[in-house]
Amino acid sequence: MKLLKDKAAKLSFVALLAATSASMLYTPTAAAHGEKSQAAFMRMRTIHWFDMNWSKEEVKVNDTMTLSGKFYVFQGWPETVDKPEVSFLNVGEPGAVFIRQGSWIGGQLVPRSVSLELGETYEFKVLLKARRPGDWHVHAMMNVQGGGPIIGPGKWTTITGSMKDFVNPVTTLTGETIDLETYNLENTYFWHAVWYAFGLAWLAYWVRKPLFIPRSIALESGKANTLITPTDRKVGVAFTAGAIALVAVSMSTTNEKYPITTPLQAGLLRGMKTFEMPAKTVTVKVEDATYRVPGRAMQMTLKITNNGDSAVRLGEFNTASVRFLDSAVLEDTTGYPDDLLAEDGLTVSDNSPLAPGQTRTVQVTASDAAWEVYRLADLIYDPDSRFAGLLFFFDEAGKRQMVTVDAPLIPVFI
Amino acid sequence: MSASQSAVRSRAEAVKVSRTFDWMILFTLFFIVLGGYHIHYMLTGGDWDFWTDWKDRRLWVTVAPIVSITFPAAVQACLWYRYRLPFGAVVCVLGLLLGEWINRYLNFWGWTYFPVNFCFPSNLIPGAIVLDGIMLLGGSMTLTAVVGGLAWGLLFYPGNWPIIAPLHVPVEYNGMMMTLADLQGYNYVRTGTPEYIRMVEKGTLRTFGKDVAPVSAFFSGFVSIIIYFLWHFFGRWFASTDFISGENL
Repeated sequence: MKLLKDKAAKLSFVALLAATSASMLYTPTAAAHGEKSQAAFMRMRTIHWFDMNWSKEEVKVNDTMTLSGKFYVFQGWPETVDKPEVSFLNVGEPGAVFIRQGSWIGGQLVPRSVSLELGETYEFKVLLKARRPGDWHVHAMMNVQGGGPIIGPGKWTTITGSMKDFVNPVTTLTGETIDLETYNLENTYFWHAVWYAFGLAWLAYWVRKPLFIPRSIALESGKANTLITPTDRKVGVAFTAGAIALVAVSMSTTNEKYPITTPLQAGLLRGMKTFEMPAKTVTVKVEDATYRVPGRAMQMTLKITNNGDSAVRLGEFNTASVRFLDSAVLEDTTGYPDDLLAEDGLTVSDNSPLAPGQTRTVQVTASDAAWEVYRLADLIYDPDSRFAGLLFFFDEAGKRQMVTVDAPLIPVFI
Repeated sequence: MSASQSAVRSRAEAVKVSRTFDWMILFTLFFIVLGGYHIHYMLTGGDWDFWTDWKDRRLWVTVAPIVSITFPAAVQACLWYRYRLPFGAVVCVLGLLLGEWINRYLNFWGWTYFPVNFCFPSNLIPGAIVLDGIMLLGGSMTLTAVVGGLAWGLLFYPGNWPIIAPLHVPVEYNGMMMTLADLQGYNYVRTGTPEYIRMVEKGTLRTFGKDVAPVSAFFSGFVSIIIYFLWHFFGRWFASTDFISGENL
């Protein structure tokens, strides 16, 4: 019996070790950045990303690619999210696998935070330089102070080559060209090593003597004065003065070596240039909107009026970066991520050209598994159950105009 | 052997046991302090210590010494008043720096690929040596708090300047001027750390022109004095054995 118990205990211990090791060593690739977990209303009613383009799907270490597009700052920004008065154009990627060589909004470099206006459209571009090989999900992202990260669409991008070949050359205003990837590394290691050795020497001086028990006994028996010797004091003076002297000398020599330095740069960039979208000649009124939970479809009744001089058709409904297209009107040729593209996901009860001056009420259905996959259906659990998105209409010449919709959404459960 | 008999039979054996005990306590102290101080410093100093583009002349200089004098003051109180050992501050900072370097190298660089020249820790050792030195030479908590605490704040920036100065060389980048440290923060994408949460160069200290670092360091030193007193008493309370009743031994 004892033998059996011992064996069971031994096997249990081995199993525990194996389980612990397996859980520690199992490191699966992160497949996303939590974009699906972000509240649906945040993705639908804050920043609308469109015309997105990833210039390459495969790039070598040290080569560059651009992530570009436009974003519309939604007029009906939710009350529960701070307005984008302090925002930062960011990139969603797993660590610095690409470096950000440049980012621009409306042609202006934006290394700092910016102030965005509700109801405006901005054009952006991010220049990325490949650094670490692998398959990476790369997103556009807008961080909003008080609102959190608002992530845009992401696309898998492959970096090939070796990270050890990566270089990041920069020429300073003092005329020196350095590799920022490794710059100042030896100096950092050197000073930390010097000071750590200094500290260790101080510790070593004391720990070579008897420490806790004898000193505690001496203290309790009233012999505290005997514990610090004149030599200890001299060593103390030497270390204290030595530390101050080393700080003074090293600072002085550093100032001689780097006579020109500037403070860190900070500040908010205001007055960003907006992108002028073509004038709207189509007006849309949402009569009602429902989300059919079993069918994973959203249905809107839209009253569309064409005030322009060319007939128009509805080609796309874009919400939370998911694009529902009517393939009879629009086909995507940009290589937009498959999981965010419903090529035939938009059905319009009557999508014949709407002539100038006409008004028509139509049933528009946006259906795709993306409602569930991207957890947009969770909108029905949000505190402010409204949906929003962009409608893209195309006239006979192929010209596009964008109309926003924002209305309450009623879920249908049966 | 009865309970009243000694566990050792000779003086040599007593010395050996005592030394073994010394090493055990020192080893344990080092790693307990490493863990506790490291967590404390990450939670309170955090990004100011993580990234070069947070190491500015106003807030980093002010915040880092104030939040880092805590454990040194407490451990110094314990080691000095119980054992007359003046290495409390240094042992804390050595532990902290070891933990930080392991963290920065394995996690920041090894897992998320941030270059070490962007995420190295601040150097706290000059202040720690002076703090211990003053405790040794003065033997007074008040003197150590006032002179040592002030020195802790004052030595922080110059003690780090040889490491960070090369990163404050200016660069022109796409039509804007920034320091190399700013450029590191811009180049090496931190998805979860947007630029606006960077607390640098904020405040109303605008009447000293470009020489704000010494003023910030003085302010930091003054507050460090107060924090030293507070944490020194924590250390003395923690090192107390008054709660152990002799009758129960």
